[in-house]
Amino acid sequence: MKASKFYYVVLIMCSLVFTVSCTKLNEDLYSELTGAGSSKSVSDLLTSAYSTLNGPYQQDNRWCLQEITTDEAIAPTRGGDWDDNGIHRALHLHLWNSDNSYMLNTFNGLGNAIFQASNVLRFNPTAQQAAEAKFIRSLAMFDMLDLWGQVPYRENLDDFKTPPSVMTGQDAMDFIVKDLNDAMKDLPTAGVAYVASKNAARVLLMKLYLNRGVFLNRQSPTFSKEDMNQVISLAKAISASKAYKVSDPGHYFDNFAPNNDKISTENIFTLYNENGVRGGSVDRTWNTVAHYNMLPGGWNGWATLSDFYNKFQSSDERRGIYYDYPADTTSNKSQDYHRQNVGFFAGQQYSWVTNEPLMARNPSTAPLVFTPEVTLRTSGATLETAGIRPMKYAYDYKSVGQKNNDWVVYRYSDVLLMQAEAILRGGDGTTAEAIEIVNRIRTNRGVPALTTLTLDDLLDERGRELYWEGWRRQDLIRFGKFLDAWQEKPADVSPNTLLFALPAQQVASNPNLTQNPGF
Amino acid sequence: MIINNTGQPGGSTTVKIRGNSSIRAGNNPLFVLDGIPLSGTSARPGGSGGFSTDGGNPLTYLNPSDIASIDILKDASATAIYGSRGANGVVIITTKRAKTGEPTLNLGASVGISNLLKKPDVLNGSAFRKAIQNYTPDDVATSDFGSNVDAFDAITRKAPTQNYYGDITGGTENGRYRLSLGHLDQSGIIKNSDLKKYTANLSSSFKFLENKRLGLDVNLLVTQTNENLAPIDVGVGFTGNVISQALQWNPTRPLYDENGNRTYVSSNQINPMTSLAAYKDKAVVNTIVASVSPYYKITDDLEYKLIYSVTRQTGERTGRYIAGMIDSSQVENGMAFVSNNTETDQQLTQTLSYNKQLSDDLSLNAVAGYEFLDYKYYWNSESGSGFNYNGLDFYDYLNYSTANNRSINSYRDPSNQLQSFFLRASFNYLQRYLLTATIRRDGSTKFGENNRYANFPSLAFAWNVSNEPFLKNSRIVNQLKLRLGWGETGNSAFPSGASRDRFTFGTQSITQANFGNPDLKWEASNTLNAGIDFALFNSRLSGSLDYFNKKTTDALFESIIAQPAPPSGKLWVNLPGEVSNKGFELSLTGNIVSKKDWNWNLTVNGTYIQNNVSGLTGYYTTAALRGQGFSGVLGQRMVNGQPLNVWYLAKFAGIDPTTGTSMYVAKDGTVGTPTNDAKYDPALNKFYVGSPNPKYLLGITTDVTYKKFTATFNMNGAFGHYLFNNTMATVLGLSNLPGRNIGSYYDNPSLNESVSNSASASTRYLEKGDYMKMSNITLSYRVGNIGNTIKNLNVSLTGQNLFVLTGYNGFDPEVNTDGSDADIPSLGIEYLPYPPARTILLGVNFSL
Repeated sequence: MKASKFYYVVLIMCSLVFTVSCTKLNEDLYSELTGAGSSKSVSDLLTSAYSTLNGPYQQDNRWCLQEITTDEAIAPTRGGDWDDNGIHRALHLHLWNSDNSYMLNTFNGLGNAIFQASNVLRFNPTAQQAAEAKFIRSLAMFDMLDLWGQVPYRENLDDFKTPPSVMTGQDAMDFIVKDLNDAMKDLPTAGVAYVASKNAARVLLMKLYLNRGVFLNRQSPTFSKEDMNQVISLAKAISASKAYKVSDPGHYFDNFAPNNDKISTENIFTLYNENGVRGGSVDRTWNTVAHYNMLPGGWNGWATLSDFYNKFQSSDERRGIYYDYPADTTSNKSQDYHRQNVGFFAGQQYSWVTNEPLMARNPSTAPLVFTPEVTLRTSGATLETAGIRPMKYAYDYKSVGQKNNDWVVYRYSDVLLMQAEAILRGGDGTTAEAIEIVNRIRTNRGVPALTTLTLDDLLDERGRELYWEGWRRQDLIRFGKFLDAWQEKPADVSPNTLLFALPAQQVASNPNLTQNPGF
Repeated sequence: MIINNTGQPGGSTTVKIRGNSSIRAGNNPLFVLDGIPLSGTSARPGGSGGFSTDGGNPLTYLNPSDIASIDILKDASATAIYGSRGANGVVIITTKRAKTGEPTLNLGASVGISNLLKKPDVLNGSAFRKAIQNYTPDDVATSDFGSNVDAFDAITRKAPTQNYYGDITGGTENGRYRLSLGHLDQSGIIKNSDLKKYTANLSSSFKFLENKRLGLDVNLLVTQTNENLAPIDVGVGFTGNVISQALQWNPTRPLYDENGNRTYVSSNQINPMTSLAAYKDKAVVNTIVASVSPYYKITDDLEYKLIYSVTRQTGERTGRYIAGMIDSSQVENGMAFVSNNTETDQQLTQTLSYNKQLSDDLSLNAVAGYEFLDYKYYWNSESGSGFNYNGLDFYDYLNYSTANNRSINSYRDPSNQLQSFFLRASFNYLQRYLLTATIRRDGSTKFGENNRYANFPSLAFAWNVSNEPFLKNSRIVNQLKLRLGWGETGNSAFPSGASRDRFTFGTQSITQANFGNPDLKWEASNTLNAGIDFALFNSRLSGSLDYFNKKTTDALFESIIAQPAPPSGKLWVNLPGEVSNKGFELSLTGNIVSKKDWNWNLTVNGTYIQNNVSGLTGYYTTAALRGQGFSGVLGQRMVNGQPLNVWYLAKFAGIDPTTGTSMYVAKDGTVGTPTNDAKYDPALNKFYVGSPNPKYLLGITTDVTYKKFTATFNMNGAFGHYLFNNTMATVLGLSNLPGRNIGSYYDNPSLNESVSNSASASTRYLEKGDYMKMSNITLSYRVGNIGNTIKNLNVSLTGQNLFVLTGYNGFDPEVNTDGSDADIPSLGIEYLPYPPARTILLGVNFSL
């Protein structure tokens, strides 16, 4: 008995040991890759890098930082609506702090774009892929520089333990210029606006040179002649490519239409939106502004300020027209009501189904009349209706879900206006040349030609041409007006607000970042 | 502490044993069913976009009538044997075993009714009329429709429940079996929602060989749950879900017009009856748990046992949404989805137990073991839109959807395997001194390459003082035991793949989703506990007192990567911070009356917990507060020197009499309203204002028996915490007038509050969460045997969730809506939950 018992014990112990001779623990991935090995995956990474720009650009992130902080736009608190922890009010009043979620989301979105673009360079891209990635990276870095004055950068994307280095001022600009010049030869010369091209890189360089003085000294910038001449020569190179022309009269809104990838004559760089393929939230240009009872209804509603609206003459096409476009399936087109459907919506609004005047929501007997006056917190009878509403992108009724309007980043009119500005700021050329350039645009927009041109006039013209496209803050800072008082905003108490606060989370994660002064 | 996150039948729960320990990863304990460590995930596919977002209860497939006992392991020495998963406590569920004897048939049935327990107060027709005359007199004509309608009443119902159960058990010592079958049909109090469950459970034990040394246990559990889910999405936008729509409905406006059709207001003021009709959401989950467990007594002292188990769950969820009912411009745009989840878990555990009396005074009980666990999870989902309603369910013909509006998705979790070795030895000297030592070595595929394996030791000592000669014959002290224990356990509730570089697929694109961290390891909890168990006065009074001190370090955390970083890219790290939970637990049981006919027992248990976080760099925000005017608002922080999930909100200081808007306290201590001075903006002035973690937990159980009658009462409560009533804040504010209803709380004309006053994340909505709930009263009568056939007939009347004593104004102080942000969990928010129900059941059971 003892022997067999012993035998059993040994048998069990052996089988235990046998099974116990460990399984090697391996973590296998089934639905993901551990790296981007093939060339197809590099182009997939590049597609991702473009899409990453949708977060900061098409969602209300970078846009809010560049627009709600200005005299062009306001996001009023309407009773229980749009309070959102005060983030919109803080932007308009220039009273932000490092907790503001728009700053956080924009910083993260741009950081993501820099990362994604750099990731493409890691995996043996083709020359053109590398060039496109560098353009995307430069675009994101330029925005970081503009908004915060600090640009974080990772040499080695594998190493998360080392905190990223931070470039500021001249260093950051040199890096961006070098990247763009490296990329220039490999970028396509012509093609669709949603793929980075040589002209897109030229526009970015123009923006950089034009604002260089500002990035070095925000409060009192100086504009060097060399920089201004760079701007002018780049503008001339873009014009020489003959790829663009100022939109014909009646076609200003082609640039923002659902099929703008085909019919726009001005778009130089856009973010791709295509129903069923990919894209970002361009419908927020409608959602955040429109009233509930409009078609389609929105969340009522960001608005513009009356002083800004009054800069437009009534013949100005940009102020708003009836725009005839294929994706308009409403009765407004089919029944020939032809009510204004793009631009600044002011006064009594009409239904595009019945052509009857629209009513408000609370109470439903009050007519829906958008008033020019709007306050930071609306109340009383105009709680819902205060504020004129600009909607530039014609609504894509045909697409359910993703809308087709490509998001406009760079346009040819912007190039011309920058050329004129560079001349006025000391570049080669006469004021008469600058006036002529500006009038090329004005004539096509239906407003009389100018005979004189000062910097203030140019700022106003940039406002009228590029309203709500995400340039106003940069322009106001450059023209020295960002700290001034305007409607619903007192003058800034300190020049610290020429920069945004770095998100507290990021300052905590990266010791190389120093919080901007005053925050 | 157990909280029902929602009142939905089969809904998810939050279970916290000895406080909140994890900053990021799951805080739920490990559940072990008959020796099988469960994965803790529910196989019901998730929902979004208007469909119910509740995660589901992973234990729904169990039939409570099959459960023999539930043991909760809290001390480190008890949980250490569960190693890297035991840090949040272990709940051991044991199902009923086969009984020897002639085959016996037990049958039970209960029927009952559930109704709504509590809800926030809103105005009725006449109060609403008065309110609009007071606050918005210009709009009375257009807002008063003349009726008196209770919309919340219209969406709820008295819901019937039926439960049938039977089991057959019998056999001999060498072969016995137990087969049970059960059927539950539980309707939910929100119309159209219900849970139907079919369970079958077979357990058997056999012994073989001449000497009966070889034994075999075979268990098989099969369950199917069918659910119809109510469309309660807590992430919903300003149009709300059926709960907010019912609360906000104008009580003077009829829900149906003269023709019997549902009243249509607009696409963003939705009739709650329309919401119920527009959504249809069914989930079917099939579960099989099978285990085979042979064991062999090698010698009288040594036994070898092997458990092999397989758990397979498949969940299918189909839903459809008739867009045209909600928004007349979207008639052509109905949508539907079909989702499937599959989970397959395998377990192989081998143990060798040794039980020997080493000498007259000393005995040894030892167990050595090896365990291998493998969890596989896979899901896919398809959805499409472009359907128009013609009487068929859209998910049955997804091919009709428009090509541009389809979405298909599939995902297989990275492999998740756990391999462990463990050893436990208990020494018992003289029945007085007990020493237990445990060590477990765990290796997990989840941990980073550099930290694959980990050791979890524990040591416990107990002194049975009552067995000492000086107390042995005491008449007062029947039992007195002192315990002291220390142990280290782990928490590895983070997703597989967290330690690797991962690139995920989008449509024709790939993105880096994770930064690898080869150093990633489990979260470690170090617990020290000391306790006294006692029984006095002939065991008439017994109880225990425990002190525990639990420190959790290396908190698992998805840290923020400094930019430039991958989008939604994560870096899992172990934080240098520390979460400490310490406190006392006292349990007292008194046999107050113990006579022949009369018996009365009372048990009271209370816990005091103090929760604190330290060692973090910076702070982390969470607790998404939702609703109209609240986007991107986060209300809680994880920060040093404060309890976990501390509330970080503005301080409300009343209503300003001149403007009628809210006043807040500024950082410099002054009070004012932001309407007059932007310095008082609540967004710029926030403070730490309280904790959602209860300080005190209390449970009271008492049962009274008189002859054949028994009455049992169960109460539980929690104190010292604060809840944020998100429903009151954004759904029921005064700015709803005149078109929508408001909370009665706001109808206070003396405040002179303005209708344009906006809500903000402030202490106005932070309420004390103290409550005492009567969770169960059971009255039963033991009829006994009837004739020769029916034996042990027992009739009972049970009430669950009968009433709540609380000052809290929302639905239920026990509800916990998910407000997690970037995977940091929240605690203590209530936002439009499935309301809690009170159930009364009449039951009968007997044997044949």
